[in-house]
Amino acid sequence: MGKVIGKIFIFLLATVFVFMWVGYAVTKMTGGEKKAAGAVEITPEGGETIFWGKGRCFTCHSMGENGSAVRCPNLGVWGDKFPLPIGKRAESRAKERQAQTGLPYTATDYLTECLATPGAYIVEGYKNEMAVVYAPPISLSLHEIKAVILYLQSQGGEVDVNAVNNPSEIAKKLHDKISAAGAAGGGDPGHGEEVFKGSCVNCHMLKGEGGKIGPDLSNAGNKPLKFLSESILRPVDAITPGYETWVVETKDNTKAIGIKTKDDAQGVEILKATGDIVTVARADIKELTQDKTKSLMPEDMIEGLTVKDFQDVLAFMMMQKEKK
Amino acid sequence: MYESDIANAEEAVKSEAKATEAVKEGEKKAEYPPAPKLTAADYPQIGGFNSRILVWIVAQLHLWFAAFVLAVPIFVLIIEAIGMATKDQRYDNMAYEFIKVSMAAYSITAIMGGLLTFSLLIFYPDLFKYLTSLFSRSMLAYAFLFFAESASLYVYYYGWHWLEGGFKKWVHLTIGLVLNFVGTVLMLFANAWVTFSMSPNGVDPGTGAFLGSEWDVIHNFLWNPLNLHRVVANIAYGGSIIGAYAAYKFLGSASKEDRAHYDWMGYTSNIIAVGGLLPLPFAGYWLVKEIYAYSQQMGITLMGGVFAWLFIMQAVLIGALFLSVNYYLWCGMGRSEGSVRYTKNIKWIAAAVVACFLVWFTPHTLVLTNQELKALGGPYHKYLGPLGIMPAKNTAVNIMIIMTFLSFTLYRRVNKIATVSWADAGSAVQAAIFAGGIGNIIFLGVYHGYFTNTAYKVASSIPQVSSTAVVIIATLIIDSMMFKGAKEVAPLRWGNVPARSQYALFTLAVSFTWLMGLMGYIRSGIRQHWHVNSIMRDNSINAFTPTIGYAAQVVTLAAVIFMAIVIFIFWLSNISSKKSAAH
Repeated sequence: MGKVIGKIFIFLLATVFVFMWVGYAVTKMTGGEKKAAGAVEITPEGGETIFWGKGRCFTCHSMGENGSAVRCPNLGVWGDKFPLPIGKRAESRAKERQAQTGLPYTATDYLTECLATPGAYIVEGYKNEMAVVYAPPISLSLHEIKAVILYLQSQGGEVDVNAVNNPSEIAKKLHDKISAAGAAGGGDPGHGEEVFKGSCVNCHMLKGEGGKIGPDLSNAGNKPLKFLSESILRPVDAITPGYETWVVETKDNTKAIGIKTKDDAQGVEILKATGDIVTVARADIKELTQDKTKSLMPEDMIEGLTVKDFQDVLAFMMMQKEKK
Repeated sequence: MYESDIANAEEAVKSEAKATEAVKEGEKKAEYPPAPKLTAADYPQIGGFNSRILVWIVAQLHLWFAAFVLAVPIFVLIIEAIGMATKDQRYDNMAYEFIKVSMAAYSITAIMGGLLTFSLLIFYPDLFKYLTSLFSRSMLAYAFLFFAESASLYVYYYGWHWLEGGFKKWVHLTIGLVLNFVGTVLMLFANAWVTFSMSPNGVDPGTGAFLGSEWDVIHNFLWNPLNLHRVVANIAYGGSIIGAYAAYKFLGSASKEDRAHYDWMGYTSNIIAVGGLLPLPFAGYWLVKEIYAYSQQMGITLMGGVFAWLFIMQAVLIGALFLSVNYYLWCGMGRSEGSVRYTKNIKWIAAAVVACFLVWFTPHTLVLTNQELKALGGPYHKYLGPLGIMPAKNTAVNIMIIMTFLSFTLYRRVNKIATVSWADAGSAVQAAIFAGGIGNIIFLGVYHGYFTNTAYKVASSIPQVSSTAVVIIATLIIDSMMFKGAKEVAPLRWGNVPARSQYALFTLAVSFTWLMGLMGYIRSGIRQHWHVNSIMRDNSINAFTPTIGYAAQVVTLAAVIFMAIVIFIFWLSNISSKKSAAH
């Protein structure tokens, strides 16, 4: 039996070593991967570390002769399609964006937009499939993204540290988006908008669209993050004045629960969670009380959202800042 | 009126002050602490051990053994029930031998579980504490259920001969049922801990603090897809390990009787493994679909970049699995001289399986130098490029499954001839079903795969799977009717198979083992630098994604340790059998 055991073990070892060899061969072919760095400085070198490490940019982009990814545009000089490196290419792309939007784009603005809103400009022949790099699991911070922009500029273009650190109006909005996402635990505001449209817009107004049962959220970004977070998690603890829950009981023992939208000598008007308005004449009111233990916003709202949905919608909320 | 309320600055200030008060009040009331924010100093470094590799290997070993000991009672119960229904003692004996092998593995599973717990406590104390704060009740329940699992297993195993015959057998089967139920619940708890780290739920998304409902934490987004995937995979895996045991015993058998017994045992194990293997790609497909649905970024991390190449390795392993299974069936045809009628077809089946394997093996994007890319005119080959995308893979895997089933169908009829009057017509219908099914799968893969909107490309996989299911079920129904009372022309001579066929069973077991290790790495690796995705960061010095080569090395090391322990268990059960025989 010992001989049989020996044969079997050798066979099994040979098999797993073949598998291991395949793993090594694939690693060699794909160029391996560098360790993610810790904190990096806002320098081209810091950006390079992020590009080839934590940012995982190399999984889709090559840089000229470096890397083997082809899913997304090569960011170096590569064949007829990309005769200019990304640093230089960004300058002509900025002009294209300026023509498209009428806004004064700079090369830095274009690169910032590529990272903050990659779908804004799709290179011909490629798809809108870039991951949101400032959302989990990649979760780059604004600091790290600035470093990547400098690295990209260093590829044939002018490294403009000042423009990166003192953003233009265009880049400022994009920075705000990334910061909002980071502050909200790394949420993706793009997906947050979808969640908002699916779950919140029936009750809340946003830029003139939506329901009136809850407060207008067009300026939600001016509220503290903690307040926004609590408003969703425990709405009863953070009710905006004017949106308290009222219970009106009539003399024939019917009840209406909702927001009190009118209260005068004639009677009261209650806006229910369903959107219906109930008007009760003063003479018919048996009791009118405020229920401080309840909010019209569902207490179990969070149960319908995943953690990711929540962070995404929070990031979207933080971006809602109307100009006064 | 509303607008005026909102615009009223005084009110807004009041509202904010009130809200801040409320938040402070809420914080005071908070029952649960937030997820800890760690620094590299919070991860103990002990004795030069690489904590990640140690925990990785121990967790993987625990998982392999746990998968085995959870799966074996499932099919042991079924085989025992078959033995009871057919009154064929051979089934009962085989079921007993299966459970005997899993007994030693059970204690190793517990040892590995303990080792894993201690490793986490020592090397990742804050993570463990955080998870314990969320899963306190289920962890306590887990501990008690473990006692129930042990008790039911011991009564089931040691009471096998005591609870024989009549009503007692029913009692024994009921204990087996309890054993399986408890084992499954244990696995569901453990799955919840794992999937929570990927798709957390039931915690404050901002701080990670527990919100009070443990069910919400357990019932996270990926829990059920993983539950299904693991149940199916465990059955396939358990079958393959038992098959390896049978092969080991077969190769060491001196008598014809023993060879016949272990050959039959190996064949049965192979059927169990295949039974689990066939639906496994679809359970995996659902899991990945749900990962995408939960987080597109996580999905892209999984299927893009360096992880995409892990799926090419997965193709190598699954190719090895299918080829092993088919090879074993082809060798097994030699048990009957009636097989000469079918052996000429094997080369075509082999060619089809290999072709399907190559399609699955074809990567979407090629790793090329820039010169090669320029010469090729792009990253995709003109003819082979389309084989790299999902519709081609779906087509290949469905045809590979049908071909494996064809091998099985031919195997089943090698020793007999159908005597029903409509046998020729039945065979013709079966052939038409096979041809029609394959034709439909190819049509769906090609037409919807390349000539329609992207949305249909993935959606076409459902009718493809349905076609495969129709082929298998319809053929089985016709076969069972056609071969009822069939004439045996050349009896199956169990034990009459070449020794190399047994190595196919070993390949099956070792491929499964390595594949599970690899897929475990992928599942865990897509969280990247998060202990709990988007809630608790991994700030240890190991917070980087290892290369495939690195992962392959760790998985290989763990697999070698596992195989050594498994062979030791086989040897133990062998000396125990010798002692029983001597008595």
